[in-house]
Amino acid sequence: MIEFRDVNKWYGAYCALADINAVVQRGEVVVVCGPSGSGKSTLIRTVNRLEEIRSGEVLFEGSNVHAPMRAAALNHLRSRIGFVFQSFNLFPHLSALDNIVLSPWRVNGVRKAEAHDRAMALLERVGLADRAHSFPAQLSGGQQQRVAIARALAMEPPVMLFDEPTSALDPEMVGEVLAVMRSLTEEGMTMMCVTHEMGFARDVADRVWFMDAGRILETGTPEEFFGAPQHPRAQRFLSDLRSH
Amino acid sequence: MLTHALDIVRDNWLLLLIGQYPNGPLGGIAATLILSVLGIVLAFPLSVLIALARLSHRRVLWVPATVLVYVVRGVPLLMIIFWVYFLLPLLINVSVPGFATMVCTLTLYEGAFLSEVVRAGIVALPKGQMDAARALGHSYPKAMLYVILPQALFNMLPSMLSQWVATIKDTTLGYIINVPELTFAANQINNRLLTQPFEVFLILALTYYVVCFSLTWVATRLERRIAGRRSGAMRLAPVLVTAQ
Repeated sequence: MIEFRDVNKWYGAYCALADINAVVQRGEVVVVCGPSGSGKSTLIRTVNRLEEIRSGEVLFEGSNVHAPMRAAALNHLRSRIGFVFQSFNLFPHLSALDNIVLSPWRVNGVRKAEAHDRAMALLERVGLADRAHSFPAQLSGGQQQRVAIARALAMEPPVMLFDEPTSALDPEMVGEVLAVMRSLTEEGMTMMCVTHEMGFARDVADRVWFMDAGRILETGTPEEFFGAPQHPRAQRFLSDLRSH
Repeated sequence: MLTHALDIVRDNWLLLLIGQYPNGPLGGIAATLILSVLGIVLAFPLSVLIALARLSHRRVLWVPATVLVYVVRGVPLLMIIFWVYFLLPLLINVSVPGFATMVCTLTLYEGAFLSEVVRAGIVALPKGQMDAARALGHSYPKAMLYVILPQALFNMLPSMLSQWVATIKDTTLGYIINVPELTFAANQINNRLLTQPFEVFLILALTYYVVCFSLTWVATRLERRIAGRRSGAMRLAPVLVTAQ
């Protein structure tokens, strides 16, 4: 579904991504972990080309996202890749409901009444039907992130990308967001998720990718990765986590 | 002296208010306000276009817009008035009345200044807003129209009111090319009375002050309300989606 082929990215002399080769299969949940600054967010942002790359290919459903293409083609690709940001990035001038309605209506050309009904159903699903007419500033961080997930789902994407979706949340709000993400995995959604929530990774991931210094150092099932990490850097990372 | 001033107001209030209308052209405060409103209302769409051109990566848009802004900011308004007044008729071979000259000049001049306000308002929004819109598949124009501009323009309302105040003061230069606005009316009175220039121009200054101060006061109140809304609930924001 998503395939990275020899992806390299540089910021000046700094190598952000080095020789990335990896695949996310359809229906698979991949959790990307690693120390901060290791390139996890950069990697996930190359999938919908919010970040450009120096060389290589990122394939989504078989087509290279980074190939030269018309703006309309790229917009269409992006509309089929759900993306959830660390900082929510809800549109503050729109209510929760209108945040969700806007893109199916204005991008996909869904009739407004229909987009509205589907948005209400999505809000119900993330447990926020009663906050439909609240503005983002009136919602807690956890609620905002659930609306952001609903907003991404409204485009009916075959894949969802999560870029540290719980890192900006107070601890007591992490659970409600993870619960929504868990329910997505149960429906068989293909997901790629950058997170520090190792419990979540252990429970729902099909594969874990461990990154450091712009490279994927290790990929494996959660049992393999958490039980017997191969790479010394991964061993150190996990023992640092456990010592807390 | 005060009684003299009051006498002048009593004898000439209609001239100060509407000029020689209906026996002559509309003038006085009415003309000043109409000039300034026309100037700022026409300058607004122009300023948005200039700001978007200045933010564009395309040189054909960016270069002329930037040159225009720098030229207008670097040349006194009076020079531009003379240019439009004396050059435009030569170029298009039609004599342009002073009032129209003034509207054109103000539109250009205030548009260039306002465009910097618009540009600042757009740049000041968090980068995540554009990222989120693009990730959902919005084209750049749609992202601007539905996500960026509604927020930026709303945040800029106080600055736009300030620009209107500046425009009101700039209309005084219409006097130079015989546009019958408020300063022109005051000068007519002064020419008739000959002996009381101090009183006449005191009245003129006070009139401008009252008009401009009221608007500045409204702008300050608005600014406070918007600052409050940004930190808390956003209820009054212009909602393009629900406006349909």
